[in-house]
Amino acid sequence: MFLTRSEYDRGVNTFSPEGRLFQVEYAIEAIKLGSTAVGIQTSEGVVLAVEKRATSTLLEPSSIEKIMEIDQHLGCAMSGLTADSRTMIDHARVEAQNHWFTYNERIKVESVTQAVCDLALRFGESANSEEALMSRPFGVALLIAGIDENGPQLFHTDPSGTFMRYDAKAIGSGSEGAQGELQEQYHKSLTLKEAEVLSLKVLKQVMEEKLNSTNVQIAIVRSIAADGTGGFHTYTEVECQAVIDQLS
Amino acid sequence: MFAYEQQQQSSCPVKAPVEHRFSPYTDNGGTTLAIAGDDFCVIAGDTRQSEGYSINTRYAPKVYQLSNGAVLATGGMYADGVTLVKMIEQRLEWYRHAHAKEMSCGALAQMLSTILYHKRMFPYYVWNTLGGLDEEGKGAVYSYDPVGNYEKHKWNCSGSAGHLVQPFLDNQIGFSHQREKPTLTMERVVQVTKDAFTSATERDIYTGDYLEMFLVTKEGIQKTLTDLKKD
Amino acid sequence: MDPTTRTQQPIVTGTSVLGIKYKDGVMLAADTLASYGSLARFRDVERLIKVGGTTIIGASGDISDFQYITHLLEKILIKESNTEDGHQLYARHIHEYLGRLMYGRRSKHNPLWNSIIVGGIKDGEGGKFLGFVDLQGTTYESSTIATGYGSYIAQPLLRKAVEGREDSLTEEEAIKVLDDCMRVLFYRDARSSNKIQRATVNASGVTITDPYDLETEWGFAESIRGYGATD
Repeated sequence: MFLTRSEYDRGVNTFSPEGRLFQVEYAIEAIKLGSTAVGIQTSEGVVLAVEKRATSTLLEPSSIEKIMEIDQHLGCAMSGLTADSRTMIDHARVEAQNHWFTYNERIKVESVTQAVCDLALRFGESANSEEALMSRPFGVALLIAGIDENGPQLFHTDPSGTFMRYDAKAIGSGSEGAQGELQEQYHKSLTLKEAEVLSLKVLKQVMEEKLNSTNVQIAIVRSIAADGTGGFHTYTEVECQAVIDQLS
Repeated sequence: MFAYEQQQQSSCPVKAPVEHRFSPYTDNGGTTLAIAGDDFCVIAGDTRQSEGYSINTRYAPKVYQLSNGAVLATGGMYADGVTLVKMIEQRLEWYRHAHAKEMSCGALAQMLSTILYHKRMFPYYVWNTLGGLDEEGKGAVYSYDPVGNYEKHKWNCSGSAGHLVQPFLDNQIGFSHQREKPTLTMERVVQVTKDAFTSATERDIYTGDYLEMFLVTKEGIQKTLTDLKKD
Repeated sequence: MDPTTRTQQPIVTGTSVLGIKYKDGVMLAADTLASYGSLARFRDVERLIKVGGTTIIGASGDISDFQYITHLLEKILIKESNTEDGHQLYARHIHEYLGRLMYGRRSKHNPLWNSIIVGGIKDGEGGKFLGFVDLQGTTYESSTIATGYGSYIAQPLLRKAVEGREDSLTEEEAIKVLDDCMRVLFYRDARSSNKIQRATVNASGVTITDPYDLETEWGFAESIRGYGATD
């Protein structure tokens, strides 16, 4: 398959005669090598769950961070070349803070997703006046979860800068199987508690290792109460174990 | 000192006939006011534009209905006010495009503060009063100094007769130090506003000609024009 | 490197410009004197110009800055007509452009030292327009406008003659009131001359008169000691 791609996959700014940008497509392929990440939206909030692939028994599992906070009301799970996500998450955090500073309100989930996607296609040669850009596309996909005036939302972004909203979405190496499972299990009246369990159930099916409280990470985004509680929260190992215990 | 004056005289053969040094600022006078009710807001201003002891025009509106449904009353330097309002309108449109919603009154209040503060070293010489309805539909009034310091109130008056009118509003709208605090109807607020401006016109030479009032309710915004003394 | 230079004061200056609305359109008047300080340096400088087919402007203040503005207006007018998009620059557009130009320059602390009156057809819908712009970017519209000393001496006379009669004042009456005001200014303003021009915009287009002399009466001087009387 790769042999037939000829020279058109050399430059990041050259379309093939069929109208494709191969480097962007390859970048999307790169995500399929990453660890699986799952996001599920419910009416009470959004659940994010990722598998943490420990490549060595000597590896400290807590040093793998694949779910990050963007703002109090925004979280993000990733798969692929996770180092690339630093640029994106930094940008998202700045954008969220700027919005709060300027408007004294929380940025919408879609707006922050759009802001991150604006970065995605800034690769290739820089145009005459523009600042120097990235040499290649991002190799990471994100699941951006958040809550705003339109309720809990889950967005998926890919290296092409496209973003779409999902009720439930899986990315990474096990995404095909996981997405199929989500398709079957998801329903609109899912509670947040049920969604937590479902997210791990789905991960468990596609993970090579046996699922435990150190090789998965769970986070939720709920609405923020007047006293400041709620919002983004990453589960501790104990909280994680409590969810695992509910898996039959 | 003497040598300096001599040098000044010889460096230019012509004495400046009008002004010696350029000042980028001028004060065009005028008074503005805003009063928040339970489910309405009244924002008003006179329409006289002055420069020194001259009246430039009897009708130069300085209270602006913004595209998000809020109303901004400006006072001080008219040209700065016009520029500020044009920029706010641009920002409101950008916000609509970026976030697919109207900017709320509270968001606009914060944005205006940042806009003003960004020109801290060459300020817009404008005293702003912003009025509208908040997210719950309650009347909201915000007042600003030229560099963006702002506060939310129930009523505010600023501009050339601000110091004349504010205590009157404290009494008639805030019922300060009074036993009875009746709820204000819009009719009452409109009457107090008219009285405030006719009285201000009596004593302040920079206030007069016409009173332009904006009545904001959830049904929409109504604009009225009332005569004031033209002397 | 050359130091940056900015206009700190006007050098060769023109004095008052007057403008009024009347039944058929608008009319401007100005004298043709360009002074160098107190010296009457150039006696036939035309300070009223035609801008496109429906607008006239008149400027007081620095003559070289006004010539530069004239050049800018010519440039944008050519650009606009070459575009051939059916848009036309009417008086209100020229006024807005000058307002932004003057405000932009004042904001760079490098003003164009003029007060300008813009008159003509308001926009594509028709209507009369009479507006003002100055070196600080201050703008306003009114049915009578006067710059410089004219704002103190002629404006009250113009308001008395025109306010409320904008749609009934005849061309003859308009000419008379402007000539009378220019004559009063000539008597009292030491930087004025009796050689004046008038510019008119009405349904038949723009007309600018050739410079003509105002009749003046100095007979009274004979009886005043220091003028004619000897004892």
